[in-house]
Amino acid sequence: MSDKITITIDGKELAVKAGTKLLAAVREAGARIPTLCQHKDLTPGGKCRLCTCEVTANGKTRMATACNLVVSEPLTVLTESADVVKHRKLLAEMYLGRWPEVRAVKAIARRMGVESSRFTGAPKDDAQNACILCGRCVTACHEFVLERVLQFAGRGSGRHITMPFGDVDPHCIGCTSCAHVCPTGAIEVVDEMNRPLNPTMIRNSGMKVNAEMATLDAEQCRMREVGTANIVDVMNAYDLLPVMNYKFGSHPDAHKVDSKVLKAKYFTQGQADGCWPGCSMACAKAVDGFELKTGPYKGEMVTVDGPEYETAGGCTNMGCFDPDFVVEFNFYCDTYGVDTISVATAAAFAMEAFEAGQITTEHTGGLELNFGAGDVVLELLHQMARGEGFGVELGQGVLRMKQKWIREYGADAEFLQDIGMEAKGLEYSEYVSKESLAQQCGYTMAIKGPQHDEAWLIFMDMVNNQIPTFEDKAQALYYYPLFRTWFGLMGLCKLCWNDVVPAKNHTEDEPAKVPAHVRGYWKFFEGMTGIEIDEPKMLEQSERVYQLQRVMSYMLGKGTRKFDMPPYRAVGPVTVEEYESRAERYDKQLLELTEVNPAGMSSADKVAALREFRMSQYERAMEVVYEARGWTSDGVPTIERLRRLGIDRPEIVSIIEGAQES
Amino acid sequence: MVTVNGNRTVEWRTGLTVADILRELGWDYALITTTVDGHFVERDDYESTQVADGADVRAIHIAHGG
Repeated sequence: MSDKITITIDGKELAVKAGTKLLAAVREAGARIPTLCQHKDLTPGGKCRLCTCEVTANGKTRMATACNLVVSEPLTVLTESADVVKHRKLLAEMYLGRWPEVRAVKAIARRMGVESSRFTGAPKDDAQNACILCGRCVTACHEFVLERVLQFAGRGSGRHITMPFGDVDPHCIGCTSCAHVCPTGAIEVVDEMNRPLNPTMIRNSGMKVNAEMATLDAEQCRMREVGTANIVDVMNAYDLLPVMNYKFGSHPDAHKVDSKVLKAKYFTQGQADGCWPGCSMACAKAVDGFELKTGPYKGEMVTVDGPEYETAGGCTNMGCFDPDFVVEFNFYCDTYGVDTISVATAAAFAMEAFEAGQITTEHTGGLELNFGAGDVVLELLHQMARGEGFGVELGQGVLRMKQKWIREYGADAEFLQDIGMEAKGLEYSEYVSKESLAQQCGYTMAIKGPQHDEAWLIFMDMVNNQIPTFEDKAQALYYYPLFRTWFGLMGLCKLCWNDVVPAKNHTEDEPAKVPAHVRGYWKFFEGMTGIEIDEPKMLEQSERVYQLQRVMSYMLGKGTRKFDMPPYRAVGPVTVEEYESRAERYDKQLLELTEVNPAGMSSADKVAALREFRMSQYERAMEVVYEARGWTSDGVPTIERLRRLGIDRPEIVSIIEGAQES
Repeated sequence: MVTVNGNRTVEWRTGLTVADILRELGWDYALITTTVDGHFVERDDYESTQVADGADVRAIHIAHGG
């Protein structure tokens, strides 16, 4: 199947994809035609008319601007016909008459053989940096940063570029996109903010991200369109979306809460909000006019900030696939000041414990806490806020619930440990890590607990098979946590690292690192401080902080090996039900990776055999990662490593010296 | 037989394309970079690029989100 269309340009035949702009095809054919208003990263508007060509389709010939003509049928194109040249000469003469000193205009006139102009009357502007009304700035304002601060005003010879009512618009955040695309220098940048050492270097790096968002996002991650909610669809497709306390990685009803539904029925706002006005990614989404069904604001119409992926994923983890529930859960978590991830993961744990008979209605205050019971979750949220009932227990999180139920209700300690998705007292975020050993380590060995901000390695490991050995995984678990720590140190957003990637990212040596963007971040740093930076320097900056964080974790009683051990649910199937739901996958692994032949074995025995294999893999990986990070076999930073980093101050060393190995 | 990412296989058949392989694996992700025997394949060409028996296909997913 081919969607290519054959066109002929100046007698040269070529096949182009339907939807290609004619100007791109003309250039591919090797023809050179002049332009003034066109910019590679902006939607063309056909304003300057210089790219006009003679185009014949279905026997009809017309003059058309190449920049915005979309190829949808076979065409015959002449880029230099007598009529075309005559038209361009006239335009060049008109431009030269109005803006005689602008370099870009003079170049066009020279190219067209125009030496003087008959159009010499008003309005003439003799400035070298006169505005030529190309409109690039207007388009960039909208397409780069989603604002409409600049616009055309006036008619005929009075047409000009302005902010509303000729005043400085407070919506202008000084992004300088307009100046970046201006072909004449009419827009002057006055750097008075923050006094960076090299503002041009910062701007040039920033503009690359702006341009990528304007040109690539719609076909990549759709961050502008649906924000992080796009990941619901992806995770469900790859069996990574947590369903029913991470038992499963997908569900037939997941489509009810995916980004298509959220976009079609809920999202009413899509712009930068709390992070940074004018952000070109603008991934924050909001729902306006949502009528609440429960709680103290029942019946009121509210605006809800979200839902983000993690909130929607948390809801599928509770077995809830009603989008109204997702939005209401989001609203009340925000309103009560509790984290949607921790509440959802804690509730999912309680639901599984309830269904397994570990707790009963006697403990939940009569509430039937089954998977999918969204109304019960909302009631518990309200109880949590009021400090009443079982909601108080839920609000204390998975670790405390486990401890209490074992201590006071005689619950099965081993089972609760296996299914209680927390480490270091923090609930896991919303990804299924069972099939990625690297992600199991990335989650569980993260210093502040199993959030994925240190390392998200599932694709690299599970899908791409790019880090197959223990050593490969250890290197990834050294680099990524340090790289991501660096964002925090610098106060830079992580999302423009890999939520849009350059069109030529595949040509890089290590595309998973999105190297062009890493270099761009270094330019931000250098432009601000004047200090040149590279990968070793960046990692060293981060590692000083990272090791110090681990020392503090140790000081607080959690920075050792036993706190880096995961609940088995994060590593593999705990129950027969889980095993049997993906039996083909697990049987294959037993057969290929262990000496166990699953044929004829009971599912319970297969669960046990797989568990032994996977936990041994985890422990081996942990050893290698500890070594790469410069930690003892119990997970404590070595004094030698602190010395190498220049952070071996006596007060720091005194915390860990008792935990060193001889 | 075609090998994908070094650890998966897809049964080869006459006319098998890159798009067929990705469909068979259920890999419908926006940030996939694909090579066949080391040669990069444009996304626009997935449907028209045929893969030879025994080919080494790499479909690298660039992680995003989080």
